[in-house]
Amino acid sequence: MTAPPRPAVGPVRGYLDYYLTSMRIAIATQFQYRVANYFYMIGMVAEPVIYLVVWSTIARQQGGEVGGITPGQFAAYYIVWTLVRNMNIIFTPYGWEERIRTGELSGMLLRPMHPIHADLGFFAGWKFVVIVLWLPIAAVLSLLFQPDLQPRLIDVVVFAFAIWGAYLIRSVNYWILGMVTFWTTRVGPIFQLVFTAELLLSGRLVPLSLMPDWAQRLADVLPFKWTFGFPIEALVGHLPESELIGGLAMQALWIAIGAIGVRVVWRFAVRHYGAVGG
Amino acid sequence: MPQPAIHVRDLRKTFRVPVREAGLRAAFKSLVRRESREVKAVDDVSFDLEPGEVVGFLGPNGAGKTTTLKMLSGLLYPTSGEATVLGHVPSRREPGFLRQITMVMGNRNQLQWDLPALDSFDLIRAIYRLPADQFRQTRDEFIELLELGDLVNKPVRNLSLGERMKVETVGALLHRPQVLFLDEPTIGLDVTMQKRIRSFVAEYNRRLGATVLLTSHYMADVQALCRRVVVIHHGRILFDGALSVLAARFNATKTIGVVLRDGTVDLSAYGEVMATDDDRVTLRVARADAPEVTTRLLRDLPVADLTIEDPPIEDVIEHVFAGAAEDQRAEAEAEAEATAATARSS
Amino acid sequence: MTGRTGTPMASPAREPLRPIRLFGVFFRIGALNELQYRANFAIQVFQSVIALATGLAVIGLVFSQTTHLNDWTRPELLAVMGVHILMGGLIQTFIQPNMVRLMADVREGTLDFVLTKPEDSQVLISIREVKIWQAIDVVIGFVVLGVGIAQLQTSIGPVQALGFALALLLGASMIYCFWLILTTGAFWIVRMDEIHELFDGIYQSGRWPVTIYPGWLRVSLTYLVPIAFAVTVPAEAITSRLTVETIAIAAIFAVILLLVTRWWWRFGLRHYSGASA
Repeated sequence: MTAPPRPAVGPVRGYLDYYLTSMRIAIATQFQYRVANYFYMIGMVAEPVIYLVVWSTIARQQGGEVGGITPGQFAAYYIVWTLVRNMNIIFTPYGWEERIRTGELSGMLLRPMHPIHADLGFFAGWKFVVIVLWLPIAAVLSLLFQPDLQPRLIDVVVFAFAIWGAYLIRSVNYWILGMVTFWTTRVGPIFQLVFTAELLLSGRLVPLSLMPDWAQRLADVLPFKWTFGFPIEALVGHLPESELIGGLAMQALWIAIGAIGVRVVWRFAVRHYGAVGG
Repeated sequence: MPQPAIHVRDLRKTFRVPVREAGLRAAFKSLVRRESREVKAVDDVSFDLEPGEVVGFLGPNGAGKTTTLKMLSGLLYPTSGEATVLGHVPSRREPGFLRQITMVMGNRNQLQWDLPALDSFDLIRAIYRLPADQFRQTRDEFIELLELGDLVNKPVRNLSLGERMKVETVGALLHRPQVLFLDEPTIGLDVTMQKRIRSFVAEYNRRLGATVLLTSHYMADVQALCRRVVVIHHGRILFDGALSVLAARFNATKTIGVVLRDGTVDLSAYGEVMATDDDRVTLRVARADAPEVTTRLLRDLPVADLTIEDPPIEDVIEHVFAGAAEDQRAEAEAEAEATAATARSS
Repeated sequence: MTGRTGTPMASPAREPLRPIRLFGVFFRIGALNELQYRANFAIQVFQSVIALATGLAVIGLVFSQTTHLNDWTRPELLAVMGVHILMGGLIQTFIQPNMVRLMADVREGTLDFVLTKPEDSQVLISIREVKIWQAIDVVIGFVVLGVGIAQLQTSIGPVQALGFALALLLGASMIYCFWLILTTGAFWIVRMDEIHELFDGIYQSGRWPVTIYPGWLRVSLTYLVPIAFAVTVPAEAITSRLTVETIAIAAIFAVILLLVTRWWWRFGLRHYSGASA
């Protein structure tokens, strides 16, 4: 009998190779769906534009600013919002039900690689297509709403890291949430509660500085702020360096917490799946 | 003595299934108390596969075939008993183990839908961390074996079902696994495609010495590929041995097809009439009687055409199951009789 | 003219109220079907309550920073939200399910089953689906509307009530037309599923009175996607802002839209029937 095959390369190069290949495939696939992608992105623009108009109206009523934010700054916030929102899109927790039902999960379990890499790699590649498609949308929005945007170099650099940090935080944490599906099919209400909390406490609805104090303190200890409000503020908010670096550190912390959570919960999930067969 | 490639001893898998009778009353009851019963999907199954063997796993739906395969590939955890594949315990799902096996379930899609198969092959290379040149060699070898040609350059969604199964099969074997679990690999394919896949699997087994455990509804798959079959029903093994032995042991009849030159005659005097389509009558007779019946037919009637065949092996299997059902019923009756007897005497 | 069974077929001229009767039939069937799934009811209530809470939180947030939005006060904004939820419920119960089904039928070629029926095809495809549980939003919308009005401390006279009902009817018709015009495009562009997301996003703009939007946006939200007529105009009616001009424009625009929709539907049908071999 032939000896068991050893992988050709070590884990680091192996994962790197996998991610690059996976991202390349995602780009090739999503580029084919660029029209559908555009439809989705344009539809998504409605939400921040509505918020923008409402708050700008209030600002103008109150003599040019509300909570210290001018219409131009609101415009900057909500236009950057559209990029951050797109970077935030990850494998939906609702997708686990179909995955289990269609047997796709079995296929993933037969691979010698943790399935989360497949999701991380694919969506990461997709992001590159999204960023390219987003540029014209941002240009049009800027023309229409005149954002007040003057980022410093450090803002841009931190932002570049922060959007990927946001992607990773959301990926791992929603993977954990999605795994609830292994134990129950009535996941809708649970997911909805989490998403609503995210809407209110992440900076998606309004810049967090406009929220009541108790909400801001709550937002500081939850992961949501670091996936939405922080990346946006990093670019538009002229934050002091300490906050910029501190924010990145918080992102790293939430990624680590999520990664550990994935390891632990996944083990239980697979065991449960193995016992009852999904 | 070399280790068996697959070793299964007293393997058992039981599921808890909720039980609910029809009717409103039962529906209300089930709200308060969930009743469930245990279903033995796999009931103390034991067998060994030597490296390089190709074994057919036969049984009706729900017999426990797929459950056994899933336990051997690590997808399900056994309730009790032991199973080792290539020296590994499947449920541990070690990467070293997973790299050496493959499981192909008839309708599974593991390739990217919108891209050419070649791209998906590259992804598989990355997942299994295959050495680049060995991967390319294997890939080209398989493409040639299955005569895929330019199909690998077309998006998978543009391929027909048969073509898709071919590229999926290649994808499943690119990492040169030593153990193959094939669950209904030719289901839904036309006859030509079935033959193609079969010969590919046979060639793969020949070239790599891989061990193959294959389930199928199509006896042609089993007859073409397997010298040994394991028959399973209600989670229990009914037969484990050479296919020829199975046929011989349970094959009590022969099928005679008769075409008469003119008109139709009632042939029920010669044997059991199985079918009459147009002018062809199919008779079933006991194996021992076949020569004598044939002689009488040729002597008595204006026969235009006559064929003598073994019954399709499906019928043989039917027999095996019917026999097993008979045994089960006899067992149950004997048990009931025994309990009644003890009740009477105590 | 008799059908295959030999019974005389009703001609539309003899039964002017037929569409309404048909609607009653489909409604009963749809409701009976859905009522079996009590779990859906609980889930829908939960979803609607969460959405309501979020909406109230947003209004609370806005009014923690100001006392009015343009010239709309907080109770008036509650009224707008009520109409928005109510109209949303009507769309999700009666209009959107039919459009989704129509898109699926065109894509899968099952539209022929509709076309071979003796009823007017536009009527059929518009009334056959009913998502009864979405009607919870209609109830919630009315409740929120009621709370808003109660806080206004002005009484609602019959004029306002009538104006409100009329505006609601006209607005709903225009949304229906908008949806059908878009969905008819499926005869040419088969893949249209993303239209949902697009509409749902745009519909959110109706949460606020369209007067706050900059000019070009306001015009689009009035005549391109008739959100203004669906939500703001009824809200104006109930808050005594409605002018005769506005309701007149609404009526005229509604009639025009209905006619255009009808023509466009028949045009699309001809294309569809001609194209399929």
